[in-house]
Amino acid sequence: MRWHTVSRQALTLREFDEELVVRNAATGSTHLLQPLAAEVLTLLMETGDGMTAAQLAASLGDEGGGGIAAMEELLQEFKRLGLAEPVD
Amino acid sequence: MIIGELAAEALARVLKGPGLRLRTGPVVTCIASPLDEVAEAIALLYGEHPVDDGFADFHVRISRPAGLRRWLKPQVQFQFDGRPPFYPLPGDQGFPILEWGMNWCVSTTCHQYLIVHAAVVERGGRALILPAPPGSGKSTLCAGLVHRGWRLLSDELTLLDPSSGQVIPLPRPVSLKNASIEVIGRFAPQAVLSPTVHDTLKGSVAHMKPSAESVSRALEGATPRWVVLPRYDAGAPARLEGMSKGRAFMQLVDSAFNYHLHGRNGFEVVANAIEACDCFEFVYGDLEEAAAVFAELEARA
Repeated sequence: MRWHTVSRQALTLREFDEELVVRNAATGSTHLLQPLAAEVLTLLMETGDGMTAAQLAASLGDEGGGGIAAMEELLQEFKRLGLAEPVD
Repeated sequence: MIIGELAAEALARVLKGPGLRLRTGPVVTCIASPLDEVAEAIALLYGEHPVDDGFADFHVRISRPAGLRRWLKPQVQFQFDGRPPFYPLPGDQGFPILEWGMNWCVSTTCHQYLIVHAAVVERGGRALILPAPPGSGKSTLCAGLVHRGWRLLSDELTLLDPSSGQVIPLPRPVSLKNASIEVIGRFAPQAVLSPTVHDTLKGSVAHMKPSAESVSRALEGATPRWVVLPRYDAGAPARLEGMSKGRAFMQLVDSAFNYHLHGRNGFEVVANAIEACDCFEFVYGDLEEAAAVFAELEARA
């Protein structure tokens, strides 16, 4: 399953050291992302066609089974927060 | 004219009549009250504040509600534009309900500012913002610092001006609760404190008069420089530890009254403030030690 961020216009970001704060205009919520989550969201924002959990894990150099499972969990959390969604 | 220049009888007459137009930083509140204890507390704690004769942002009244309770178990009520937004409180809480009501007026209507529930003090043009939940020792620390060279901007409401990014002062009496009343009495014997009112919703409460300097410089803003999350821990040595800017950002957002109303601009205002600040968590058990830590922090800036 490929993932992408919700409308880019809806997200406002500010990076502090390696952390990222992000405001989602669609939900009105603001979130603090730890470095790994920040990197994943940034990757998703940069991709045009979306990325799978395996591709994201590979981009972060963690393509083992555990890495992919953790990535899927993170993407589900992004979905819950309204930050990302499956492409299809 | 400042309130301290009004004779007690004249002050009582204005409060019982058209109301006293009290300027606190950017806002003017027209206060009316027939209660002697309210007049006495205003004379004691707002003596340095200017009396205004122009437009009033808020019209408030502290009085006894009508009815039998007036005689059996007197209460006080706060009215805003003629309506009581809160339930009445026991009769001896006239001044505390005025202070809480004035905070309510600002936090629910002054949306030209991004308002954070935080104490804030200034030194050298730089603002030290102290966001924290009730009971963390924020007001005690704030009161202690203003007796060691810091200027009071507010002990409760940090007003961030979205256009300039500056903290706008709102110098009013500092609210002290329970053990901190005695702590400040010992720490700063020169502090002017109101009589303690017991058994309020917040326990025992007294208010500390702001300094003449903090009132006279009330139109002089300050640039955010530090965000410090304080926590009082009896007997603990003072400990200042770095906090990530991301966490500090969320702390300000979570402590803000009206962040959601400012939309994307609110996000930028908080982010710009955090960008300019060093951020810490601070545990303290002794005010003198705490003041020394912040003097050093300010000297290094």
